[in-house]
Amino acid sequence: MRQLLSGNAAAAWGFRLSRVQCYPYYPITPSTACSEQVSHWVGNGEMDAVVINVESEHTAASAVISAAKDVRAGTATSSKGLLYMVEVLENGGGASLPFTIFVGNRATGAPINIWGDNSDAYAVRDSGLIQIFATNAQEALDNIIQAYKISEDLSVRQPVLANLKGFTGTHTYEGVETPTPEEVDAFLPPYIPLEPLFSQDHPVTYGAMLSGFYYRRHKRNQTAALTNALAVTEKVGQEFGERFGRTYGTFEWVGDSNAEVVIALLGESAGAAEAALDHLRGRDGISSLAVLKVRLFNPFPAKAIATALYKAGTKAVVVLDEGLPHGDVFPPLAGRIASSLQLHLGSHMPRVASVIGGLGGSEIRPDHFQTLFNLGANIAAGRPYRREPYWLDIEEDPILLTDEKKVDPKLWKQYGEIWKAQSIQHQYHVPFPSTNYEVRLYGRAGQGAITSAVFFTGAGIEHGLQVLTKPTFGSERRGAVVHADTLLQTSGGRKTRSFGGKQDLVGIYDDTILTSPAHAPARDVKPGGVLLVNTNRYSPERIREMLNLSDSSISIYVVPGSQIAHELRLGGFINMVMLGAMHRVCPHLDLDAALPYYQKNVPQPKEANLEAIRRGYQETTDHLIEQAVPVVVDERAEAYFRWRPEDETLEDEILRSLEVARGS
Amino acid sequence: MSDAENGKQAADTRLLPSCNQHEEFVVTGRMVTVRPKNGHPSAVSTSSEESVSSAGKLPGRNKKLMGFPVTRTGRAPEKRTDLLAAPEVLTLEELAKRAIDGLDYNGVMDQLADLGPEGRVLLFFREGKLARAEVFEDPRICKDLQRGAVIHNLEQIPVDVSGWRVHEFYIDSKGCLGEVCTRCLRVCPEDAIHLKGDGASSYCEIDPTACKGCFICWVECSRKAADCIQVDGKTFDSELRSHHFGE
Repeated sequence: MRQLLSGNAAAAWGFRLSRVQCYPYYPITPSTACSEQVSHWVGNGEMDAVVINVESEHTAASAVISAAKDVRAGTATSSKGLLYMVEVLENGGGASLPFTIFVGNRATGAPINIWGDNSDAYAVRDSGLIQIFATNAQEALDNIIQAYKISEDLSVRQPVLANLKGFTGTHTYEGVETPTPEEVDAFLPPYIPLEPLFSQDHPVTYGAMLSGFYYRRHKRNQTAALTNALAVTEKVGQEFGERFGRTYGTFEWVGDSNAEVVIALLGESAGAAEAALDHLRGRDGISSLAVLKVRLFNPFPAKAIATALYKAGTKAVVVLDEGLPHGDVFPPLAGRIASSLQLHLGSHMPRVASVIGGLGGSEIRPDHFQTLFNLGANIAAGRPYRREPYWLDIEEDPILLTDEKKVDPKLWKQYGEIWKAQSIQHQYHVPFPSTNYEVRLYGRAGQGAITSAVFFTGAGIEHGLQVLTKPTFGSERRGAVVHADTLLQTSGGRKTRSFGGKQDLVGIYDDTILTSPAHAPARDVKPGGVLLVNTNRYSPERIREMLNLSDSSISIYVVPGSQIAHELRLGGFINMVMLGAMHRVCPHLDLDAALPYYQKNVPQPKEANLEAIRRGYQETTDHLIEQAVPVVVDERAEAYFRWRPEDETLEDEILRSLEVARGS
Repeated sequence: MSDAENGKQAADTRLLPSCNQHEEFVVTGRMVTVRPKNGHPSAVSTSSEESVSSAGKLPGRNKKLMGFPVTRTGRAPEKRTDLLAAPEVLTLEELAKRAIDGLDYNGVMDQLADLGPEGRVLLFFREGKLARAEVFEDPRICKDLQRGAVIHNLEQIPVDVSGWRVHEFYIDSKGCLGEVCTRCLRVCPEDAIHLKGDGASSYCEIDPTACKGCFICWVECSRKAADCIQVDGKTFDSELRSHHFGE
């Protein structure tokens, strides 16, 4: 069954289908929605599990470890939550307990940052946990089901972290194939409590103190079990593919089998890397390329990766790490790849360069990977390169910049010789085409721009299209401008999650955003694109003037969204009106095709919302809207704006309007 | 958890102790459901959600109880009926001593023999009958330790700790009050003191292999160990007593 899910919801489905019996959790952005979903299912009886609302992640980890002695257990966390678990997490591996923690990967402070990178997963890499990285919501669901099978294997019995990048992974809505419970039951056997905690016939002691003699022998066993996870992960991924049609390994090689230049990375950024790869492959003057998507980070598949690179005859590997080295020679992934290659290939090893990027939610775009392939090609040609990590989007290295004048001149003294040897090869920087249909909806938080985008995505997926929505989330409060990006794949080929950055349709939910100095909503509209504005006071011509839009191929449409919503007694909820208007201007998804999905899924009041969609569709126009009914006046706002400190008579009026607004 | 246990849990319902005058909380297995108390006006309503709203409370207010989710919709969870019991893990030698119906002994023992001493068979039972047998290689490199450093309490052999103590402790049966007292027996942290004999002839005895020489019996003795607990053959040692009691 294909359904619209966010990364968090997909992870929750993973727990549900794995029949997790105990789920203690403490909420933390960006993985909270996963736990809320599990809790909701348990609360309404759809999932047979115990949810424990604990008072901290430390307790959540303690409870998971205790529960895993008898039942299948899991939880979700992120960032500092995971770090707060570390003190007890080692007890999971040490006590040989299989359980799974879903991690919405997020940066770790200070400074505080809620957005995604791999810092949290890197910080616990030495805590004895198996770590699997997912690149999208589908993999998050599949990985959690496989995680239980891997961790409960009798030769492993170790806990698993199932990672998915925060926000760009956890909050992106996309189509996910959800297996049936029966299919998963046939794949995943019931939990086997090897050493149950409360068995009267066989009482056991966990966590006894051991002397050095026994301690080292036990740790040898634990390490052997963790190493066994390498083969088991391959076996389980293969079996999963036979049953569900999606095969997984310890890593995935995408691109030329004889790639001279390889970019290696973990997780969700692989989407942008693959987009760049598809764009560059086969062009004149470009060497053979590949992307190495590392899925199993811990235990690290050192020999398998070294063998794959050796067989391909790779000359340069550029490793992207979304985390820091913290004083190490390289950040964790680059360090592991470099040591694996040195160990297994010796003098035959390819050259390894490390790049740090994507920190704290920094965007990783396909054009970044164009630059990295350029860097890799230079290194493969034998040119000197930096032996310490490069940094993306820091004005430090000319090779990573289009304008080398931005580099601090003082740095030329330090790195000048290397930089002179490196060259920007223009064939790697051919502008990235934006062939897919992209939508950006600007709203103010509370206006439902994200809701419209998610419904549009759901309808598209049900109609068989490849659609996904990536909302922005930040520290904005209610009323601030937010936006949601929707990608409708029209280019065919491999499924992509990568946005081109140029929009075919920009929807503006509030005409005050037109004049917002911080937002230039029409800046990135493609030629021939459409601007759709909720307004009944500006004509399309006036909007064109306001935005200083010289490109006449860009069409402007207006819809009286607020007026329609008011007439339908929907208050300020204009999302359904704008949804209908989107269908009017989007050539790829007809309203008739999408209506069955909306009829099933729109929230209450259903009829009014469906009518809002219809009216939004019908009343979208490229002419000035004739104001058949007067503009709705907000008495409270009008009174407020009229008020002056010296005018005491208006105070009563304001208070009276507030009472009216509150219904008292 | 076996099927039988599962079924027993499903059938086993009880009320949670609560001071709530309007609703009661029913524990069924691992789930807690809420229902109006008999006699309360809301009990006649067909929908518990309606009853909450009509009572003027916030909707969903009582959906959680001490962290346990509360079922209101009554939708049945996805129960599985094919739960297997926790498996038995046996070596070749252990399997040879057992007679298990339905097991392909030739096949399993051949596989175990191929693996050598590392071979183990995992026997899954459902309702007492063999459901599945899997042969695997014991992943432990150091076989003297259980997985997860778990200690099997009933299989532990008492360890001789006589080398731990500095002084020798001995209870003189003539001075000991026996079953009238047994104070030392109860306070011994090592369970090293045992009652011997019956009635007036009973006395306490220290197991010399289990005694670590902690002095607790000597301190706690109701007779202050006088004529009773000898340390290094002495019933009274002023230096020891001053050390412990500050005399």
